[in-house]
Amino acid sequence: MDLFTSSTLLTLLMLITPIMASSTNLYKNSNYQHYVKNMTLSAFIISLIPMTMFIHTNQEMLISNWHWITIHTFKLTLSFKMDYFSLMFMPVALFITWSIMEFSMWYMHSDPNINQFFKYLLIFLITMLILVTANNLFQLLVGWEGVGIMSFLLIGWWFGRTDANTAALQAILYNRIGDIGFLLSMAWFLSNTNSWDLQQIFVLSQNPSNLPLMGLTLAAAGKSAQFGLHPWLPSAMEGPTPVSALLHSSTMVVAGVFLLIRFSPLMENNKPIQTMMLSLGALTTLFTAICALTQNDIKKIIAFSTSSQLGLMMVTVGLNQPHLAFLHICTHAFFKAMLFLCSGSIIHNLNNEQDIRKMGGLYKILPFTTTALITGCLALTGVPFLTGFYSKDPIIEAATSSYTNAWALLLTLIATSLTAVYSTRIIFYTLLEQPRFSPLMNINETNPALINPIKRLLVGSIFAGFILSNNMPPMTTPLMTMPLHLKLTALMVTTLGFIIALEINTYSKNLKYPHLSNFTNFSTLLGYFPTIMHRLPPHLILTMGQKLATSLLDLTWTEIILPKTMTSIQLKASLLTSNQKGLIKLYFLSFLITMTLVMLLFNYPE
Amino acid sequence: MSLVHINILMAFTMSLTGLLMYRSHLMSALLCLEGMVLSLFILMTLTILNSHFTLANMAPIILLVFAACEAAIGLALLVMISNTYGTDHVQNLNLLQC
Repeated sequence: MDLFTSSTLLTLLMLITPIMASSTNLYKNSNYQHYVKNMTLSAFIISLIPMTMFIHTNQEMLISNWHWITIHTFKLTLSFKMDYFSLMFMPVALFITWSIMEFSMWYMHSDPNINQFFKYLLIFLITMLILVTANNLFQLLVGWEGVGIMSFLLIGWWFGRTDANTAALQAILYNRIGDIGFLLSMAWFLSNTNSWDLQQIFVLSQNPSNLPLMGLTLAAAGKSAQFGLHPWLPSAMEGPTPVSALLHSSTMVVAGVFLLIRFSPLMENNKPIQTMMLSLGALTTLFTAICALTQNDIKKIIAFSTSSQLGLMMVTVGLNQPHLAFLHICTHAFFKAMLFLCSGSIIHNLNNEQDIRKMGGLYKILPFTTTALITGCLALTGVPFLTGFYSKDPIIEAATSSYTNAWALLLTLIATSLTAVYSTRIIFYTLLEQPRFSPLMNINETNPALINPIKRLLVGSIFAGFILSNNMPPMTTPLMTMPLHLKLTALMVTTLGFIIALEINTYSKNLKYPHLSNFTNFSTLLGYFPTIMHRLPPHLILTMGQKLATSLLDLTWTEIILPKTMTSIQLKASLLTSNQKGLIKLYFLSFLITMTLVMLLFNYPE
Repeated sequence: MSLVHINILMAFTMSLTGLLMYRSHLMSALLCLEGMVLSLFILMTLTILNSHFTLANMAPIILLVFAACEAAIGLALLVMISNTYGTDHVQNLNLLQC
């Protein structure tokens, strides 16, 4: 029992040590990277202890440490919640971060600020773990904002490039819109349940009104790039590949879905909110899958794939299956991080070429990366008995056999087949056919800092689904019986997608490239969403603000109220009432003569 | 009537005549207006001090304030006319438009 507490706190404290060492001499030499990587490895191994204890005894724990503040009846402490979700997620996140840190020792080798890069990655990991283990909403907000800030710093790592700065700012702005929803629900919970502790919230408000749940959904939509707040995720590919692998595929973007999973007891009985999440997730997954079909940058295709899988997780939460969504988070992290690492290997080996139209024929040249890429794509599409199958197939089964919205279900199925299509596109353009890059490339993959992380994640991509789903304690009764055609739905749509994609890709060798149709334009320009929404609303709002503030208020109060009004009234009055000719001297003279006559007449009346 | 009264009333009458019968410059009308106000001020002050009418000790000061405002408006009008016509000759003021 003591081992539980101490190993959890030790895991968290170990990660803080390299941050504190950054003011010493260790920060200045190249051993710092190995130090950080080994710390992460040790933290991973130590975090396996609470996980196995939890699997063995199914015992959760709440650590409440430091009493921060008490305001009347409201008490805030530093509290960590070690339950099913946080204990399972911590080892997965630490394993993936360890692999990515080892990879970035190869990828960012020539960067002079590499120690600062590792420090930023570590701070990101710490804030993500704070988010995952938080027991009260304030601590969750600390973690939430922390991952947002580190995302900004890491996306804009190469800050000399304007596109990177724009993308980082875009990420912050879209996340901020989601934070409005988060703060709204925090305020509602504070005023209605008098606490920010999860336990008290779950006991006191079994059926909350729609307002806090909509706030939480907005927060998740902002952080997890659902439709309407999604453009920041493909733009975030301006950052280095390890950043894309860690933040924008496995860890940060799942924070939104994780929040919804944490609050799932409140949403069990609320059908409208579930339907809203279902529809939002289905729309996201189909829209981003369509956008992924015609992108030409390999990182953007994988980013849209991430967005599509996040939509799928949102669909699962909308089906009232939070544990399936959590399993998909854990398994998706493995193969998505590996896909990003493979794309990083390809990019570096082709001298920073990211356009798939200029890659090709890497099948024989980079055999290990090819293996990993193909396995990752197969796991992504849910080929039976790889990792993705153990989480994606139960989601589709649960969707087809529950009493749910048929339109959302249809969109999800179409998106599943499109997943196969764009995976085939990646494989075809980068690996097969003849090479389309210049022949003087220096291509090798012999560095162990590159091979070992991909090897570990490859083993994870193949076996982790099996291991996780057999060892996780079941929290809901799994669905066991359904008709054969429903059981085979996911497999059939995926196979259909593969066949269609292979056909179309082989067309491109024989047929002339046609004029771009309107559908291709829709998909390449991301559905016209960024073009419209980044230009029109700011222009309208700023023009309206200028008109209201300057023209209406300032001008009125300082110029029009007295001066111009008086002028116009006098003008009108004088025009109306005057019929004179302006002979002033005559008028004055007649006045003088009249006055004299009056004085004479009334002084001498006889 | 005493000599003082005749003196001040003569000053007033001369200013009034000057105001109503001037040749060409508007400025002379304004100056005569000032003269009228000044003579009225002296008359008022002397009468009040002579009859020890303490309650009305404020009246000359108020008269002076209003005279100052009036002088300002008169000068503003003069400046507007001078802006439009270049001089302040009265024979220019035959168009009743701004």
